Amino acid sequence: MSALLKKDWFGLGLVLIFGSILISLFKPAFISPFNLYVLMLSVSLMLVVAMSQMIIIAIGQMNLSVGAIGGLVAISFTGLMEVYSMSILPAVLIGLLIGLACGFINGYITVKTGISAFIITLATLYIFKGMNLGITEAQPFYEIPEAVKFFGNAKIFGPIPYLVIIPIIITILMWILMNRTSLGRYMLAYGNNVQSSELIGISSTKIVIYAHVISGLLAAIGGMLVVCRLQLGTPNIGDSWLLPSFAAPVIGGAILAGGKVDVIATAFGVILVSIISQALVIFKIDPFFVQIFLGFMILLAVFINRYREYREERRTKVFSDE
Amino acid sequence: MNNKIPNFVKTNQFGLLILVIVFICIFSFSTDGFTSRFNIYALSRVVALDIMIGLAMMVVILTGGLNLSLGALGVSAAMFGGWCMESMGIPISITIILVLAFGSFLGWINGFVTVRTGVHSFIVTLATMSIYFGFMTLLTEAEAFRKLPEAFTDFGSLKLFNKYISPLLIISVMTCFVLYYIFKYTDIGRKLIAAGANPDAAELSGISVDRMFIYCHMLSGFLAALAGIMLTARIGAAIPSMAGHLGFDWLLPAFLAPVLGGTLLSGGKVTVFGTMLGAILVTLINNGLYLIDVGEFWVRFFLGIILLGAVLLDRAREYFTVKNSIVS
Repeated sequence: MSALLKKDWFGLGLVLIFGSILISLFKPAFISPFNLYVLMLSVSLMLVVAMSQMIIIAIGQMNLSVGAIGGLVAISFTGLMEVYSMSILPAVLIGLLIGLACGFINGYITVKTGISAFIITLATLYIFKGMNLGITEAQPFYEIPEAVKFFGNAKIFGPIPYLVIIPIIITILMWILMNRTSLGRYMLAYGNNVQSSELIGISSTKIVIYAHVISGLLAAIGGMLVVCRLQLGTPNIGDSWLLPSFAAPVIGGAILAGGKVDVIATAFGVILVSIISQALVIFKIDPFFVQIFLGFMILLAVFINRYREYREERRTKVFSDE
Repeated sequence: MNNKIPNFVKTNQFGLLILVIVFICIFSFSTDGFTSRFNIYALSRVVALDIMIGLAMMVVILTGGLNLSLGALGVSAAMFGGWCMESMGIPISITIILVLAFGSFLGWINGFVTVRTGVHSFIVTLATMSIYFGFMTLLTEAEAFRKLPEAFTDFGSLKLFNKYISPLLIISVMTCFVLYYIFKYTDIGRKLIAAGANPDAAELSGISVDRMFIYCHMLSGFLAALAGIMLTARIGAAIPSMAGHLGFDWLLPAFLAPVLGGTLLSGGKVTVFGTMLGAILVTLINNGLYLIDVGEFWVRFFLGIILLGAVLLDRAREYFTVKNSIVS
């Protein structure tokens, strides 16, 4: 039990359950099938985006270009289908390939030059976004195959949309990667302490490039899922991803210095953010408040994590004194 | 390092200066109207703002941190100023003082939270960015203040020096000199640099590092608010979207100028005039790209490429300086 209490996701899970019960007591509309459906859609999309950022946080860096990659892939995906009348599967593959290439560029330049990933991804953010705008001239693509539209809006049964399938698979794969594979553990080791991880023979080049490639792939998937959901490819897909992409992992207790991430807690962070945004809408609160709220949530999470660290430190101190 | 002359040549500023001159030559020969009075005046108005934004970011980079909330903060301060002048009828001079105080206060919040939680300022300012911008949109209901006093808006469209230069540029250049003086010759300025360069050593020598970091964030807020006022004067109205969604339009120039100017992202080094040259270079290139007609949608792409090229060049320069110094 006490081991359970220490997990990042446990406290968050409790907050989620009690919060949902509380909201549905006040507003039964919260658990209406339609609302649950909308909630699941927003969770699905943000889950992929949050995972894309989380893997970079794990190695102690940040990726500002997540949204730009998502946007570039989204318009390439729809553009290929509309302008070159390509069928869905090759378009998806090329979309993934673009995400992979973008991630590789980020990772390669970061690790080879040793310049902070923040600056590199800020530059590539503008490059990818500029390519997006240059190609589309800020005009959306509207011609989307029916199958794609169907996937984005149909339900499996009850309120559960088809769209949740891919994010759930991704979350499981990410959990396996971070907890059960040597690559994932190496990433955390690298994020924790670059020098010592190199000393025990972990190749920085490999780790950083892998992490950025995975991040790019996930951002690409996120972009294409948004296309399915919106049923069109607009150039501004991904513009608003930056804040939520950091919010979920931070609320989930990731340390931004790297070396500690929790996939389940990040997923709970995404759900929490979505539920709160949804609740604010149900309670008819100004949508701009959602943004303010998200900001305060990040600050609150930061303070709570800090407090827990502080308590942990004190406890270990007491033990060492004995 | 022994000779006197090559010392300056090796610096980042010198490389920048050359680049600025090269680009001026390229653009004046290859485009019509680059050297026209209208274009130079327009350039001076844009450069003025880019310098100020760059300086506002530079003073936080000094601490080894970042200020993502720069644009949101600047716009919030500007909107506050618009409200003071239009709705409250407060005189211009008092409004400006209030706005600068307000900006410093928002900067203080950034600094205080960063220092108290020990979290990287990136995440703190990411949060405050959305808080400031959200409150600003909520309070103004996304409406602009367009009926500002004429004396204020006239200042923004004033033309000096045979109608070549905007007075806004003079404010920015003067700010550069003041900051240079502060960092070079005053006690507090040296303490700020010491705190950024090596917090532990600074703490041991009796400098309150936390307080210095908060000062840096306040200074950043102050400069961002000043940039907000300047932008308001330039467009003649305070508009919530004048720095883009969440103030993101300011972010690239904010990082480009100090990074091109040779400010270290790890903190502890400021280059006031480097930042100024960096801002000039960015504006020149931006303006030139429009004039040679690459299409407005590709401008962003090229700015990204230039930032990338600049940091890579800087890394190469560092590499060769180290190699040379080892050889000699």
